[in-house]
Parts: sequence; C-alpha cells; structure tokens
Amino acid sequence: MKFSYSWLCDHLETDKNATEIGDALTNLGLELESLTDYSSYSKFVVATIKDFHKHPNADRLNICTVDDGTKTYQVICGANNVKKGLKGIFAKDGMYIPGTQIYLKKGKIRGEISEGMLLSERELNLSDDHDGIIELSDNFENGTSAIDALKLNDPVFEIGITPNRGDCLGVRGVARDLSAKGIGKLKPLKYEKITKLDFESPISWNIENDNNSCEYVISRYFKDVKNSVSPEWLQKKLISLGLRPINALVDITNFITHDLGRPLHVFDADKVGNKLHMRLAKPNEKILALDNKEYTLDSNSTVIADNNNALAIAGIIGGESSGCTEDTKNVFLEVAIFEKDSVAKTGRALGINSDARYRFERGLDKKMVIEGLNYASYLINKICGGSVSKNIDSGKLDTNEHKIKYKFDYFEKVIGIKLEPKKQINILKDLKFQINQINDKECDLLVPSWRNDIENNIDVVEEVIRIHGYENITESIPSPSDDEIVKINNSSINKKFKAIKKLKKILISNGVSEIITFSFHSAKAHETLSGDKSLKISNAISDDQSFMRNSMIFNHLETAEMNYKKGYKNIQIFEIGPIYNTSQSQENILSMLISSQDNTNTIFKSEDFNFYSISNLVSRLISSLNFDTKQFNISRSTSNTFHPGQSAELNMGKKLIARYGKVHPLIIEEFPKLKNSYAIELFFENLPIDSISRTNSSNILDSQFQFSEKDFSFVFEKEQNLFEVQRYVNGIDKNLIKNVEFFDLYESKDLGENSKSVTFRVTIQSKDKTLDEKDLEQIHNNILEKVSNKFKANIRT
Amino acid sequence: MDIKKVLNEATKQIERCSSQQELQNVKVAYLGKKGKITELLKSLKDLSLEEKKSTGAKLNSLRKDIDDLFKNKFNGLKVKEINSKLKNEFLDISFPPPNSIPSKVHPISKTFDEVISIFGSMGYSVAEGPDIETDYFNFSALNIPENHPAREMQDTFYIDDTDKDNKPYVLRTHTSPVQIRTLLNEKPPVKIIAPGRTYRCDSDSTHSPMFHQVEGLFINENTNMGDLKGTLIEFCKQFFNVQNLKVRFRPSYFPFTEPSAEMDIAYEIVNNKIHLGTGDLWLEILGCGMVNPTVLENCNVDTKIYQGFAFGMGLDRITMLKYGLTDIRSFFSGNLNWIANNGFSIGDY
Repeated sequence: MKFSYSWLCDHLETDKNATEIGDALTNLGLELESLTDYSSYSKFVVATIKDFHKHPNADRLNICTVDDGTKTYQVICGANNVKKGLKGIFAKDGMYIPGTQIYLKKGKIRGEISEGMLLSERELNLSDDHDGIIELSDNFENGTSAIDALKLNDPVFEIGITPNRGDCLGVRGVARDLSAKGIGKLKPLKYEKITKLDFESPISWNIENDNNSCEYVISRYFKDVKNSVSPEWLQKKLISLGLRPINALVDITNFITHDLGRPLHVFDADKVGNKLHMRLAKPNEKILALDNKEYTLDSNSTVIADNNNALAIAGIIGGESSGCTEDTKNVFLEVAIFEKDSVAKTGRALGINSDARYRFERGLDKKMVIEGLNYASYLINKICGGSVSKNIDSGKLDTNEHKIKYKFDYFEKVIGIKLEPKKQINILKDLKFQINQINDKECDLLVPSWRNDIENNIDVVEEVIRIHGYENITESIPSPSDDEIVKINNSSINKKFKAIKKLKKILISNGVSEIITFSFHSAKAHETLSGDKSLKISNAISDDQSFMRNSMIFNHLETAEMNYKKGYKNIQIFEIGPIYNTSQSQENILSMLISSQDNTNTIFKSEDFNFYSISNLVSRLISSLNFDTKQFNISRSTSNTFHPGQSAELNMGKKLIARYGKVHPLIIEEFPKLKNSYAIELFFENLPIDSISRTNSSNILDSQFQFSEKDFSFVFEKEQNLFEVQRYVNGIDKNLIKNVEFFDLYESKDLGENSKSVTFRVTIQSKDKTLDEKDLEQIHNNILEKVSNKFKANIRT
Repeated sequence: MDIKKVLNEATKQIERCSSQQELQNVKVAYLGKKGKITELLKSLKDLSLEEKKSTGAKLNSLRKDIDDLFKNKFNGLKVKEINSKLKNEFLDISFPPPNSIPSKVHPISKTFDEVISIFGSMGYSVAEGPDIETDYFNFSALNIPENHPAREMQDTFYIDDTDKDNKPYVLRTHTSPVQIRTLLNEKPPVKIIAPGRTYRCDSDSTHSPMFHQVEGLFINENTNMGDLKGTLIEFCKQFFNVQNLKVRFRPSYFPFTEPSAEMDIAYEIVNNKIHLGTGDLWLEILGCGMVNPTVLENCNVDTKIYQGFAFGMGLDRITMLKYGLTDIRSFFSGNLNWIANNGFSIGDY
C-alpha cells in the first residue's frame, strides 16, 4: 500500500520524520518496501528545448538545444514528443538517473555529442510512463528545481500489508497502529455529519437469495448533485497513489477506500431501477464492468441488481451501465458488508484484482460502515451539493466485539521473556482493546472492531510482542540432547544423505560434473518415455516444462546438447534428484549421462566408453555403498530409454537397483550430435539403507599359504546369465575358491549361432595348508563336472 | 706357479670385455669346469699336506678375487647396456594434456551438506516429504483455508490429477507440509529439518519455477521464541562464517506460525561487493515463528503440553548470498562452465 507523508499526517500528529516512521512501520510488521524521498531530485531542473533538428545518422533521434537557465546544452533525444519550446526536466553529465539506475556520462550517440538528458516519468521513478519526456504544462522558469516543478516535496511510503492486516489497508489504520507504537497521536476524523436528511430514498434494498454473502447494506440517495472534476486536494491525493482522477463522485469513493480502508460504491440513480437486490447471479449472466471488460458469471457469485439487470459484482467491481459520469444528477451511495470467502472466490474465478476485493476478502471493520457512510455523504454534499435522503438499509449489522479471556503468563511461556501484566495491559490499551475483570493472572479482552484477525490467546501474545518489540526477545540456543544425537545417528534419512555424498564424491573424482535440472520435462519427452498422463502440470509455464519427469534422461540430453554447442565434446554429467511415476509415487535416484563425441587426440586417447566400462562404473558406485553388484540379479533392461541389446538392469528381489547402458537410438534421433551416449540410473533408495553403513566383509580373509590359479573355458548357450555362473562357481567350494574372475568372451560361427565361449580364472587357496597336486586336481575336476552339468556347457580345450 | 701373474692376466682379459657374452666366455676359461683356476685347484692333490695348506689358501683367495672382478664387471656392463637401451625410450614429456573441464559438485549440494551438518550439531535430524503434495498438506493443514488471501501469496502449480478429497494435487509451494507429515508420524519432542525442492509459477532473475528450501521444526514442552532467535542467529553465524552478525527480527505473518517473524541480516556494499553482517542495509533471509496452535491441533498434538517453532529458508538464496551469485536461473541451466566456475571440487566438498 502507498501513501504520502502529508496524508499520514492528516490522521497522525507526529514529530517524527519520514525515515523514523519508515523504521517504525517495519518494526510493526508493516514492512517498508520503499520510501520515495525526492529530496535528491533538487539537482534536476526545468529546461526548455530552444531548437532541434534531425540526427544525421539516426531516424528516430533528434539533436536538441536545451536551455537550463544558465547555459545551453546539446542533447540527443529519442522521445517522440520533442518540440520547440517544450519545457521538461533536465539531467546533466554525471547525475544518477534513479529509474534506470545509471550515471549519465557525456558522450557521443551515433557520432553526435550529447551533454545531458531530458527525462521521462519512468526515468524519475514517478510512474511507468515512458511514452515521452515530461512536458510541464505550467510556465516554470528554466532552472527551477524538479521538486518544485513536479510538486515532489511529499515523501511517499510503500508498505507490504500481510493478509491478516486488513485494518491497515487505509491510511487511518496505519496511523492508528503507529500511534499504538508511540509514534504520535491519532487525530479525530475531521468532517461534519450531515443532519438534514429530509426525504425518503426512492430506491430501496432487498437482500434475497445471496447465499448469505451480504450481511448488511446501507444507502443514501443524493438529489440534484453537480458532478465535475475533483478539487485539487483530492486529485493530488489520488495521484500520489498512482490513481487517475476521474470525477468527483468516483474520486470520493476511491479516496475513502484508501483513507479509511472502506470500499463503497456510487450508482447513477437515474440509470438503475428503484428496487435493488443482493442476489446470486444467474448461470451465464453477463455484466460489463467498470474496467470495460465483460464478465460471465456463475451462480456462485453475488451481484447487485435491479429488477432487470446485474449492476455490480458484489464487493468486487461496479458495472459500466450504472456508473457515475460528469452528467450524473442523482446518486445512490452503497456501503455494505460482504462475506470475505464469497468475494475471494468470485474475484479469483473472474481474475479481478480490485481495491474493493482486496479489502473485502481480508475482512472489514464493521463499525466503519456508518463512519464511511457519513464521511462520504459529507464529501459528496460538500463537493457536489444537492440534498441527502434518509438512510435505507437491509440486513442486520452485527457489531459485537469478540471476547477473549487472556492469561498473562502465556506470554512468557511462548516468548521466553517476562513482561509484567501491567505492561501487557498498557500495550493492549494502546491497541484499543477494552479490558475488564483484571486480576494478576488474567483479564477479559474485547477486540477492537477492526481486528478481525485476533481470535485467541496466541493472537494477543503476538500483538503484545509486536508492540513491545522483537528486539527485546532474549536469545538462547537449546543444546542438543543425547536422545537427539542418537536419533540422528539412527535416522535412515540422515544415512541416505551420507550415501548420496559418497556417490557424489565417487562421480566427481571420476570426472563427472553435478548438475541440477528442473523436475519437469517436455510433453515430447514424456510421450517418448511413456510417462503417466496424470503427471501433467495444468498451469505449466511452457510446453517444455509441462510434465513431471519420470526420468531425467531428456533433461540430461538437452543439457549435454547445450554444452556440446558450447564446444564441449566429451560430456559427463550426473544429477541426484526426484523422478515421478504417478502423483503419489516419487523416487530419488542418481542419473548419469556420458556422451563422448571426440576421439581425435592420438596421444591422450579419451576413454572409449562402451557398455562394459559403464557396467564397471556401476559396480564401483554400488561397492562404494558396501554392496556387491554380483549379489543382484542381472537381466536385459526392458526400459525404452536404452538400447535393447546393450543395457542391463540389476534387481534385488522385485526391487530395481540400477539400469544402465547405451541410450536408445530412437531417443538419440532427437539429439543427432550425441550418438555415443550412455546412461546410468541408480535407484539407491531401493537398497536396504541400514546396511549402507560399513560392515566387515568376511570373504576376504588373508591366508599365508600358496595360492593356485586355473583357467576354465566353457561353451555356454548364448543367453546364459554369467552372473549365475559366477555365483555358482563361487559356491562350489566356499572354503577354497577365493576368486572367480571372468576375462574372455568369444562368439563365432564355428561355435554355432546360439553359443558363446567364456573363460574365467579361479583362484584356489586354503587358509590351513599349501594345496598339493592331488588336492588341486580334485577341485579342478569338481568345477569342470559341476559347471558342465549345471549349465549344459561344453568344456573347451 | 705365479699367482700374481694369473691375477694380472685375468684382470686384463676381464677389462677388455665389452659385452656380457664375451665376459661369460672369459669366466668359463677361468672358473669353468676346465678353467685355469679349476685345473690349478685340481693339481693340489699331488702336493704334500703342508704345501696343500699354503697353496690351497692362496688359490682360494685368487679364485675369490677373480670372481669379484667378474661380478663387478658384469654389473657395470648391465647398467651400461640398460642405459643405452633407455636412450631409445624417451617420450615427449611436454605434450600438453587435454583441456578437460574440471568436475565439481553443484553449490547447492555444498549448502545442503552444510545445513544438514550445522543443524545436525544442534540436534536436528533430517525429514522428507514428496514434491507432489495434496492440497490438505500444502495448505489446509497449515491453516491456509481454501479462500484465504495467503494462497495468492504463492503462485501454485497444479497437477492434472486429484487426491482423495477430489482436489487437484499441487507442487508443494514450500517445505512446510513436511511439518505436518512429521507431526502426524512422530510423537513430540520433534526436532527436524527438511531440505528439498519447492515450486512456484514464477520466473525471472530472482525467481525460478523450481527452487530449494529448508524447513525447520522444533516442538517440545518449553521451546520458545528466544530459542528460535538464538538458533537462527547461530545458524547464520556458522553458515555465513561471520561472528559479529547484525540481524533483525521483524513481525510478519504466516498462517501456520504465530507470532511470525522475518529475519534480515545487515549488509553493506564494499568495493562493489556485498559484505554480510555489518552495515545499514537489510537482506531478508528467512521466515519463521512459533507454530500456530491450530496447526499442532491439526496434527493431534496436545497444545496444553507442547509448543515450538518453525522456520523456512531459501537454500538457493543463501547460497547466492554466500558466494555472491546473482542469477538463480543459472543454478538449473546445466552449463558446465558455470558448474566448473562456481561448484566445489572433491576436496572442498
């Protein structure tokens, strides 16, 4: 919310300057977002364009001769409103331009010297207007300061109002809060109540089927008014908020909205019927609103209507057809209380952000209904003349204040500091709570009518500390308890984060860089990877980010391609983050992409990635988490992310542990530069997390006796799973077989299409003795016989 | 028999040798089965016992001397031969290595790690919740009912799927729903932090549709606002590594905390760079407050016994402040150059 210093002083008697008030506002929770203090603008002065001609090298630029009263300057100007005799605001070489945040520097623009600048409103941070340079209408002397010429001697505050503080959406409310903090004294409202209400209003109210959205409405009819432009003081107030004055009647309602935080509405009485209704809109009922847009309503919205048409959307915006113009002769003023949820719902559904909606949906001061009515009547009558009717109303206004039994010691329990009941009471009095039944422990509070947000003890505690000051809260650091430390050490999530750190370290030391990409991916990616349709984002920013990713592979290929275009040919990236299977299932995985497109260096040969080197990396990652790849079941991956013949997946029972291999050529079609790309997906959350901590491996016992190695070659069926063979051989004699290492794979026509020859080396060692020829022969024969029987394999010699 | 003469002769012959083979031949001629020394030793058997003793000792000493000569010469020849071979094995050691881009961890990873470790030392364990949340957990349970204006403070992404209350799923707009999930699962005392991804439909140099937050929650019997203040100041001192840290807590509003506060830290611009901890300008760091009793009641916590505080902090934001980074969008660009310049190598992680 915006207001000027002088406007605040209409309500607050204070000797504090703008900076002090700004600090106080922030300390009250009314955060000062900006304080526009124009005192530095005295350096900008009025200057006249004495002459101008076209810039020889640029169509849109003019070369102006500018006189600031002491000297003439050559100024290059691109504004379209340049003309001879124009008086504007001039900035010289070296001056800081607040709107563009740059220092002016004398220099050449397209070859012509420019010694300064004629400013637009935007360049002075006065508005967003950048259509042209400022044109002063008055005949100011050259050299007059911009502060005088633009009447900028009134600092403007802009504060952020949190949703609970509807009471501060009027300048008076802000002044009231400041006075509670001791920054000045609240002045009484200065106006005279109109007492001569000498006729019945020809228009009357009827609250009907409106789903209880209107609690109360009250009106007056103003006869024979003369509407015209507002007086200067009123125009100036609205301009200071960035509002455009329209005509006196409309300006008065806008003024009261911002001055008291009390929205109200004026109808041109001659454009509406004599019976007005609060009712729900008819399905598809249309209304052309004051913002010149037509809205189609549904039966959840409340409208103000006469017998024929909807005239306004209740609590949100008036209708064009019944609005006041300068021709308006008779006026019907409406002041109502609308239910906040219903205003919020309708406003959101229609996408209308009006000053009225903003206030209604935060809740209004019910006692301000009559005050608003009286204040508006006074202003209308004073500015537009005419006579005023008696009140006409409908509904019942419940102005009972909310009652709270407040316990003083609750303050210390929540805040942690002592504050005597007497001091608490004083603060609450300053905030205009009514206090009864005081004893040392508690009191009864009546909440001021403007504080709808205060309902119970904790709200009161907040009020007391807000005024007492957060800076007075004494800090303490709770030390960790033994239980907490034990909990951290046993926490599976803490262990997971440790595991993640290990994985990251392994990858970084292997030359893989960590990236973070969005949790979204494109519709195209989602379709290609057959993701769940329900993962679509209804209000996505763009098509490229319209689905929750069920894999990171597309994001990573896009990243690789972008880096490829920057000249990186060998790209190794990983990300640890979420993927989504359905709206209710999310997994955090490690996803890695290696894309190597350059092997031209004959000296430093870049590592030639293939399925097997990727498989080796997977094995190293898994062993860093104290698991052994070979304990999992390996099978060909069925994921359409990968090349069907050059990818694998590891499973533990039904749980997927890893998926890796060459990226499917159909996906690479989208990324033609990344032909040689491999990916790993490690589903580390599926590993039993508690075993991730280090355990002693029992099968690597050191023996001091001699070991023996023997190579075996078998011809297996082509699809024979060698993980199974390895596990089987290991199990033939757990005491003597120390290691089984596969080192050759061979396929040829001679072997037959469905066969492969595989060679592995078995290390045999006893921990009790050196084995002799006979022992060894026995175990060799055992291996030969068992493997060939178990897997129907032929021994190769 | 002149032992000296034999030794001289042998020395000359050994010295003349220029290859290991040649040397071997000479060695056989002296020490072989039919070699000169061997023959001499054989002739001892014809001598008297006394002569045997004296000549035998001399011959054995001669044999040892000659053997030593052979060994020395042999070693000398071996070194010479290897050295001459090495001359052909010289590589161009100045060939420049390829300019591979250094691999680094993302700065956010470093921040995650530090946040977990600093709060860990204060007794906070890590908790988690899903990114795709129900309307109830993200809003209603946190005291943000359907038409509450606070919902408009946050531009929410919606998913094309509805939950059991028939409300569309949302992408969590903050990490606060983890408060609810944790309190429904665990009995107090509860002391957790929950770092993770959060989402709002907003995109410019200071807003990204995806960003990171860390939630903190401490519920116990007497946890009060002084504890909240002390905890957060301590965290900032450690994280930003500033001992004299000027901070400001000011009243604010979040539906799920009361009283609510925002914490600012002071800064000044020194030589065109942000200097944190001192000065007259303020940077907003986080939002916090005492957990609203309504929220605790929504989680079946007995508010007659328990109370506590919560806070939420933008991890990208504190990372940017700590390392002087300016554009949040670059965090998620995947630009390897950026990672190499702003990330951390393994020793620093």
